[in-house]
Amino acid sequence: MLRRVKLAPILLAVALLAALTAGAAFSSAAISFRGAERDGERVGEVLIGDTAVIVLRTAAAGYLPVERAEIVAGRLRAASEAGFVPQDVEVAPVSGGHALFIGDRIIVTATEAEASAHGAGTAALAQVWRGNIIRAIAPEEAPAAEPAEAPAEPLDLDWTGVAQKWVPIFSLETEGLYLGAAQIAGPTGQVEKVKGVAELRLNFRNVGRVYAYIPVSTISLSRLDRVQGVSVWATGDIGLVGF
Amino acid sequence: MGTRSRLIAVVVLACLLAVGFASAASALALGDIVKVAGIGWLVTRYGDQIDTFITRSLGEHEAAARGATKVVPILSVGRGAHIGAAQVVGNPENVREVKAVFQVEGRIGSFRPRILVPTISDRVTGNPERAKGVGVSAVIEFTI
Repeated sequence: MLRRVKLAPILLAVALLAALTAGAAFSSAAISFRGAERDGERVGEVLIGDTAVIVLRTAAAGYLPVERAEIVAGRLRAASEAGFVPQDVEVAPVSGGHALFIGDRIIVTATEAEASAHGAGTAALAQVWRGNIIRAIAPEEAPAAEPAEAPAEPLDLDWTGVAQKWVPIFSLETEGLYLGAAQIAGPTGQVEKVKGVAELRLNFRNVGRVYAYIPVSTISLSRLDRVQGVSVWATGDIGLVGF
Repeated sequence: MGTRSRLIAVVVLACLLAVGFASAASALALGDIVKVAGIGWLVTRYGDQIDTFITRSLGEHEAAARGATKVVPILSVGRGAHIGAAQVVGNPENVREVKAVFQVEGRIGSFRPRILVPTISDRVTGNPERAKGVGVSAVIEFTI
């Protein structure tokens, strides 16, 4: 009897230890980030164990991909320390794309730019990341295996379009300066949204100057609301009389 | 000044003019050759980097275009020469086929339109055929 009483605390301790060990399988120590080379580009990767669950290809808000990966790894680590289950990992639309949430914590946003760099839509990319995280913490509950990046999905966008119109080209650098006009083309519904083409001038090293044309739905210097599926067919300006 | 002196002056002047025209002509041809060959080389050398640079720069403004992109030379239909480069955007399978953007310039009164046609050909032959599912998203001027 006495022997049984002595054995009970030991069994209890072993059970507790086993439970803690299982919980620690997804501990903060398992989450990390790193810079890596993919397709000739520097990307940021967020890892659970040895598996890259999120790959970030674009810079945003002044942060390089690897710096973004560090931030995302920190958020994921904080979520894991607070504890969560696979059902807490969700994707929801947010301004500018789709975000991955754990509970009410935002982990990472699949922006249009990020999704474009992956050749995917924002929702598809965020869902890939969600699946990867669930697979890493609870393989039995995860959907079928997918790569860390969304596969290139066929785009429904008709870039040559069926509708065309001329809109003003305006400079993003100089407020109020109109540089000419652009003929844009694309699906009728998309073309109707376009109010102008923003011209962004960029210098590529000492090699050349880039004039990027962005069809936008609002003429604003602070925000670029790009209308996807529309492209520039022609540009035009008014010739000045020379003296 | 005697007749002989005048003759010498005329011959010297003619020689100077001839040398001047020859120099100008050769400089123009050389400049064109350097430009045409140079732009082809620059697109080959820097095309992918410029493509990534544009996409990333627009990405920072959350304004990158969805779809595949690629940088190709711009070929002037009027001049038959490379005059710059363009980033094209569109469906991946169609973008892959694009070899150049043909530029056709015109004038309607004081309005000067510049038509940009992504094509699967890299030579100006007849009417340029527009590559389906592809448009222009940026124009690059090289500083050579």
